[in-house]
Amino acid sequence: MGQAGRIVVPPLQAPGISAFCRATLDFSASRAIYVVKTSGRPPGAPEHQEAALNETPMPVAWEALLSRCAGGDKAAFRQLYDLSAPRLYAVALRITRQPGLAADAVHDAFLQVWQHADRFDADRGSAETWLISLARYRALDLIRRQGREIAGVEMPERADEEPDQLERLMRQREGAALGRCLDRLEADKRQLVMLAFTDGLTHAELSTRLKTPLGTVKSWIRRGLQDLRRCLEA
Amino acid sequence: MSAEPDDLDMRAAEYVLGLLSPAETDAVRRELGRNPALTQAIAEWEARLMPLAAAVPSETPPGLIWQRLEAELGVRDSAQASIAPLRPRPMLRRVGFWQGTTAAAAALAACLALLWLRTPAVHYAAVIAPTQGPAAAWLAETRPDGALVVTVLGQTARPAGKDLELWALAAGATRPVSLGVLPASGGLVVAANLPRDRLQLMVSLEPAGGSPSGQPTGPVLYAGTLTRTE
Repeated sequence: MGQAGRIVVPPLQAPGISAFCRATLDFSASRAIYVVKTSGRPPGAPEHQEAALNETPMPVAWEALLSRCAGGDKAAFRQLYDLSAPRLYAVALRITRQPGLAADAVHDAFLQVWQHADRFDADRGSAETWLISLARYRALDLIRRQGREIAGVEMPERADEEPDQLERLMRQREGAALGRCLDRLEADKRQLVMLAFTDGLTHAELSTRLKTPLGTVKSWIRRGLQDLRRCLEA
Repeated sequence: MSAEPDDLDMRAAEYVLGLLSPAETDAVRRELGRNPALTQAIAEWEARLMPLAAAVPSETPPGLIWQRLEAELGVRDSAQASIAPLRPRPMLRRVGFWQGTTAAAAALAACLALLWLRTPAVHYAAVIAPTQGPAAAWLAETRPDGALVVTVLGQTARPAGKDLELWALAAGATRPVSLGVLPASGGLVVAANLPRDRLQLMVSLEPAGGSPSGQPTGPVLYAGTLTRTE
C-alpha cells in the first residue's frame, strides 16, 4: 500500500466545473491514493492556481486518467480535461495568439485523446508529454496553415519574462532538470530555444524577429540543443 | 558520433520545436513511418523539451471547447451521450432526405411533428434554415434541464478561415447574444438560461474563432425561431 497524498486543486475554469474536481479520485491501480479536493479559492487567482498545479504529481494522475479514457470512461476524460486543458490552452494560445485557433487546437487534441487513448505508450514518454505534444503540433499546423498576420493576443516582451519562465520551469518537478540546463546555456542560445518552443517560430521567423541571419540562427539553435542534450544526459 | 545520426537527431529536435517550414515538416512526417530511428529521436526530444510548456502560465480555456467535445462525443457514443435521445434518426441524417425537401416550411413542419411524436420532454424547437434557400441546416431543441442543443441536419458550407456563429435574439430585444461558434460537425450544447418562447436564432458568418466585437459582424446566413412543440 502506498501513502495518501492530499492535493488541493482550485477551480480551473467555470465554477460549475469545480464539481468534477471535487470528486475523490481513488486510483487503486496505482501505488498512491490521491485525494483531489477543491479549495474555496475563487478563480482568477492565477498565482495560486499555478502553484497548486505545480504541486500536483501530474504524470501519475494524467496517466491513470488516460488509461481509463482508453476504456471509454467519460468521467475520467472530463477529469483529464479539467486538469490538463489550462496547460494545453496556454501553450496553444501562445503559439497561435488567436483564442479561436487555440481553442480549435485544444479541441482537436482532446478529440484525439478520446479516440486514441489506447495508443498512448507510457514507455515512450509521460502522458503530459503526449497531451502537450498533441496540442502543440496541432497549434503549429493551424498557424502555419492560416498565417499569423491577424493581430491576436498581445504577449509580453521577451526580456521581461524569461527569468519568470525559467523560475516557473524549475519549480516543476519534471521541468527542474531542463530549467537548470537551460540556465547554463549561453544567453543567445537559451533565448532562441525558448522562443522557438513557446512561440512556435520557424527558423525564418526567428531570423526576422531577432534580426539575425538565418544561418546563424540555425547553427546557434543546433549548438544550443546539443549542449542541452549533453547537460540533460550528464 | 558520425555526422549522419547527429543530423537525424538535430532534425528530430527541430521538428519537435516547430522550427521547420511546412514543407520540411511534411517531409519529416512522411519519413516517420519508415524510419524508426527518427521516430525514436522525436520521442526523446519530446520528452526532453515538453516540460518547457510549464514556462507558459496556465490559461483558463473557453467553455466552448468542452461544449463542442461533449456534443461531438455525445453524438458518437450513444450509450452515455447526454444528447443521444435528441439526435436525428438515420432517416433525418440522410442528406437526401433534406435535399428532397424543397421548402423550409415543410422541413419545419416535418421536424416539429417528429419531435412532438418521439420526444415528449422537449418543449421548444427550431429548425435553423438558410435565409435564402430551402434546406434545413440545424435543429435546435431545449432539453429538460434547460440547455439548448443544436444538432447539424444538413450541409453547411463555410469559407476557409471563417466560422459560423450562433446568436439568440429574445423577443423584444435589440441586441443578440452570442451562443458560440458552431462546430463544423456534430452539435453544440448551450447551457444558457434564455427566454425560450419566440427566441430568434441566427447564424452569421464571422472571422475564425467568432465575432471579435461580441455582436454579429458578418451577414446572417441562417435563421430560425424557437417554437413550443407541445
